[in-house]
Amino acid sequence: MSETFECGDKGALVAYLYEECEPDVRAEIASHLTRCETCTSEIDGLGWTRKRLEAWTPNVPELGFQLPVPVMEQRLPWWRAPLPAWAQAAAALLIFGAGLSIGLTRGAVAPVTQPASTQVATAPASDGASRTDLAQLEQRLKAEMSQMRTAVAAPAPQRAVVDDDLMKKVEELVTQSEERQRREFTLRSVELARDIEAQRRIDLASVRETVGQFQGVTGTEIRQQREAIDRINNFIRVSQQGR
Amino acid sequence: MTRTDEELVARSRSGDVDSFNQLIVRWERPIYALAYRVLGREEDARDVCQDTFLRAYRALPGFKGQAKFSSWLYRIALNLCRDWIRRQQRAPVSQMPEDIDPAELLAATEPTESIEDLVARREMSALVADAMQSLTEEQRTAIILKEYHGMTFQEIADMQGCPLSTVKTRLYQGLSQLRRQLERRGHGIHELVRRT
Repeated sequence: MSETFECGDKGALVAYLYEECEPDVRAEIASHLTRCETCTSEIDGLGWTRKRLEAWTPNVPELGFQLPVPVMEQRLPWWRAPLPAWAQAAAALLIFGAGLSIGLTRGAVAPVTQPASTQVATAPASDGASRTDLAQLEQRLKAEMSQMRTAVAAPAPQRAVVDDDLMKKVEELVTQSEERQRREFTLRSVELARDIEAQRRIDLASVRETVGQFQGVTGTEIRQQREAIDRINNFIRVSQQGR
Repeated sequence: MTRTDEELVARSRSGDVDSFNQLIVRWERPIYALAYRVLGREEDARDVCQDTFLRAYRALPGFKGQAKFSSWLYRIALNLCRDWIRRQQRAPVSQMPEDIDPAELLAATEPTESIEDLVARREMSALVADAMQSLTEEQRTAIILKEYHGMTFQEIADMQGCPLSTVKTRLYQGLSQLRRQLERRGHGIHELVRRT
C-alpha cells in the first residue's frame, strides 16, 4: 500500500481528482492529503479549475441532420443490376455467333423460301451463303449490337428522374429549414418584445414610484416652508400690533 | 422500444436509412458540442458535425464493432477537427468570444436563473473559452473529452493514440495552465465590474 503513491505524483493526483484510481490508492491519497499541505493545495486548485469549466456550455442549436436518401447506395436486386462490361461483351458475342449460325443454316437448308424483308433472302439461294452475304449479315448484326449497346449505356432518363427526385428533396429540405428558421426567429422576436415590454413596465413603475416619493418630499418641504412663512408673518403682525 | 447503438448500426449496415438517422439524432448534439469546443465557431462545428455523420455512414461497412460506435464517431469528429484546424491555419478557439445576442440570451435563460446569473455564466463561459486557447491542442482535447464527454483515461488514450500516463500528464498540465490563466483573467474582470 505504501508503494502505490508518492507525494507529488501528478498522475496519481489527477486520477484521484477524477476518481479513477484503485480504492486502496484512493484511500492512501486521501490519508496523505490530511498531512500534506502542498498536495492538498494542488488538489484544491485543480478542483477549483474544474468548477470553472462547468460554465463553458455551448448553445447547441437545432441541428436536425438527416441522411438524405440519395446518399444511400441503392442496392438493386441482382436481376435488375446492370451487367458488367465483360458480361455484355460475352452476350454480344453469343448473339453474333447465334445469328451467324442461323444465317449459315438457313442458307444451306432452306434456300428457296426466304422472307422478303431480309437482305440474306435476296441472295441467290442455290450457291449457299456467299462472302457478300456473310459480310452484309455481319454488318447488320454489328449495327444491331451497337444499337443495343447504346440502349444499355444510356439510362439517362432514369438518372434524370433520380436527379429530379434529389433536387426536389433538396428543395424540400431547404424550404423546411427556412421555415424552421423563420419560426425560430419569430418566436425569439416575440419573446424579446415581451421581455422588453415587461422590463419597460417595471422601469415605468419604478420611475413613477421615485417621482411620487420625490413629489411627496417636495410637497412636505413646501408645506413646512409655508408654515414657517405664516409663523413669521404672524410674528411680524403681532410685533407691529404691540408697538 | 429503444434500440442500442449496436442494433442500429447493424440495421444501418443492411441499408436501413432510418436506423442511421436515429443514430444521428442520438449523437448529433454531443458531436456538435465537441466540435464547437475544439473549433470555437458555430458554423465550423455544424459543418464538421454533418461531415462526421456522412463519413461515418460511408465507412460503416468497415466498422467491425471492435470499439463503441460513439468512440468511433468521436474519433472521426476529432480527425475532422484536426484537419479543419490545419486547413484553416488559425489558432482554434481564438474567435470564441462571439457577440452576445440579447435574443439568444433570453432564449438561453434557465427557468430558475436570473438575467444577472445568466450574464455571469456567459462571462465565465467566454473566459474559459478564451483561456482554453492557451493550451496545446492535445491538452485541450484531453480536457474536453474528460470534462464534457465523461470519457475514461483509457478511452482518451485510445482516442489520442498515446499512453495512459500521457493523458494524465496532459490533463494535469492543462488544468494547471487553465488555473493560472483564469486567475489572471478573473482579476481583470473584477476590476472591470468595479469600474462600471
